Amino acid sequence: MRIVLDRARCEGHGLCEETAPQLMHLDDDAELVLDREEVGEADAALARAAARVCPVAALRVE
Amino acid sequence: MDVSSATFTEHMTKPPPSDVDLFADDVLLDPSPVHAELRDMGPVVHLSKSDVYALTRYDVIREALADWESFSSASIAFNPAANEALTGTSLASDPPVHTALRAALTENLSPRALRGLKGRIEAKADALVTELVREGSFEAVDALARAFPLEVVADLIGFTGHVRDNMLRWGQAAMQVLGPMNQRTAENFPVAGELYAWCSEVTADDLAEGSVGRGIFDAEARGTIPEGTAGHIIHQYLGAGVDTTIAAIGNIVALLAAHPDQLDRVRAAPSLVPAAFNEVLRYWPPVNVWGRVTTRDVEIEGFVVPAGAQIAVLLGAGNRDPRHYENPDAFLVERNPVDHLSFGYGPHGCAGQGLARLEAHAVIEALSRHVKRLVVGPEVRVPGNITRSIEELPVLEVVPA
Repeated sequence: MRIVLDRARCEGHGLCEETAPQLMHLDDDAELVLDREEVGEADAALARAAARVCPVAALRVE
Repeated sequence: MDVSSATFTEHMTKPPPSDVDLFADDVLLDPSPVHAELRDMGPVVHLSKSDVYALTRYDVIREALADWESFSSASIAFNPAANEALTGTSLASDPPVHTALRAALTENLSPRALRGLKGRIEAKADALVTELVREGSFEAVDALARAFPLEVVADLIGFTGHVRDNMLRWGQAAMQVLGPMNQRTAENFPVAGELYAWCSEVTADDLAEGSVGRGIFDAEARGTIPEGTAGHIIHQYLGAGVDTTIAAIGNIVALLAAHPDQLDRVRAAPSLVPAAFNEVLRYWPPVNVWGRVTTRDVEIEGFVVPAGAQIAVLLGAGNRDPRHYENPDAFLVERNPVDHLSFGYGPHGCAGQGLARLEAHAVIEALSRHVKRLVVGPEVRVPGNITRSIEELPVLEVVPA
């Protein structure tokens, strides 16, 4: 399972980081960094929660 | 929801009809009972008097907001004159045109652009709340809900002089005129016109040096945003960002006053501040209804909405959908409904939500730090077409923390 970021849509709201700090973070320029793009079953729910909370639909899990 | 073009329309069903008027005074003042009635009828209901299709349930609303190909923003307002006036703005555009306009709008408004303001906004909120607590009684809408965001936004854009004085009435009018052509809309068109005229003529020199507003003009001069768009962007800051934030802050005061047990929870755990704001927005959205228009026949859970139909997205009804939120009519800060619909969702998700959060979090933090309990008198409400806000909220006594 893979987390996909649509960087053009990301505005750095940071709600995904609050939800899943284990998987992603905003860097010093407030650009989103996916620390892990490939996630296993154990983190699938967390990844989906992070995608769900993005207010501009910039993240998806596939 | 399958929003693919509905090929087998003969097997599909028309949405259930209702004669509800979403813009009647009593519905605007207290929309929840009507929202519940419509939600129980179906995920989409045909409001036959106005020939508008209302989306009533959480899942359907969220999917429609994400699906700009089926649900166009060309008709976010409920009268043609307002939609025409909004043509060419990011609010009323669809991708791909929308993408560049949105980028220009958010360049100076995104959370990453606003990070530097956090400290100043927090200090402002703290000073204002400290003073109000010292006074002991005050009218919360004027003294806090209006005073604070007007000051923050005026400083941000760099407004001075008469524009600053007009921000409140211009901001209110810009939302009112999005309703159907009722008396409120008609009365507010001339006022919204004043804002429009001013934004068409504003130049960099009218805005304070070093302000975000001045930065937008600099971006236009550099060619980062298309020529002639700076005024549009200022228009959207004022039109979309003033009235809604005022409503949200008034609602924060009213709901924390009415639910002292919930204020106690935030006081005991300041990390609940963002959760408390999410719950305020879910429980009483500043904007209950927003428009879209279908670009094709759309199937929604077995019901067909024809192409070209005016859609009313009932954000407030989705926020209280028991299929999504347990015990939805209870105000519970620990619920932390991060996926509430009050900022919209997707490509058109509120562009100013980062600023709104900065302001609202600062107010909730300051209140929870300085106030143990607020004793309030009855709130006064005046019906508004789009923004649902408190007009007056007397705080009779503050029990300081």
